Amino acid sequence: MIPLPALVRVRGRSMLPTYRDGDVLLVVRGVRPRPGRAAVVRLPPDSSGRSRPLSVKRVTGPDPDAAGRWWVDSDNAAEGVTSSDVGSLDECDILAVVAGLVWRPLG
Amino acid sequence: MLSLFRITEVSAHCDLPCGVYDPAQARIEAESVKMICQKVADNDDPDFRVRATIIKEQRSELVKHHLWVLWTDYFKPPHFEKYPNLHVLFNEATKLAGASGTKGEFDVSVADELLAKIEEISTIFWETKNA
Repeated sequence: MIPLPALVRVRGRSMLPTYRDGDVLLVVRGVRPRPGRAAVVRLPPDSSGRSRPLSVKRVTGPDPDAAGRWWVDSDNAAEGVTSSDVGSLDECDILAVVAGLVWRPLG
Repeated sequence: MLSLFRITEVSAHCDLPCGVYDPAQARIEAESVKMICQKVADNDDPDFRVRATIIKEQRSELVKHHLWVLWTDYFKPPHFEKYPNLHVLFNEATKLAGASGTKGEFDVSVADELLAKIEEISTIFWETKNA
């Protein structure tokens, strides 16, 4: 797959202080996850089987116990679902890598 | 679905309930409050009493927090229909942990009243869990 850019808007506070609610990010699809980079990820369903929304997380590194899987974390330790809750994610669930902040709401 | 021409919303929310609830959290903090009241009664050291006061206020606040989580996140309208006294129980319990209760006083009997209220809530909680 060739790298394809896309735009996403952050909702919530789990990536504070890096990204705030309302931030618009440029993300790139079709590139491999990189440890330390934020990414748009697909999380597994919750315990009741309800699907979770697409989320922005920090990829912290490869899962040492499973090849092709990645650990993700929130930047805000007080909030957000992380790999401590849901385990590592398959590489196909890391949908895009965050390239940078495009726009931030005033105030 | 991800595109350069349309901004997709991506979640950075915490509010994905883990679904793990237990009134024991409130009870343990309330037991801690009661124990502090007992220890202060036997100790005249002013530094100890100041520390005890601070910790007791923090623990009382935690009791309120854990009760509110049960009240607002765990219990659902059908529960309140089935147990009409549930709202009042939570109101009374959180008051007992507040400034007019264990937060503001060193009264072991108030802590006992608080523990009794938590126990009542706990009984209902486990009835709904096992229903």
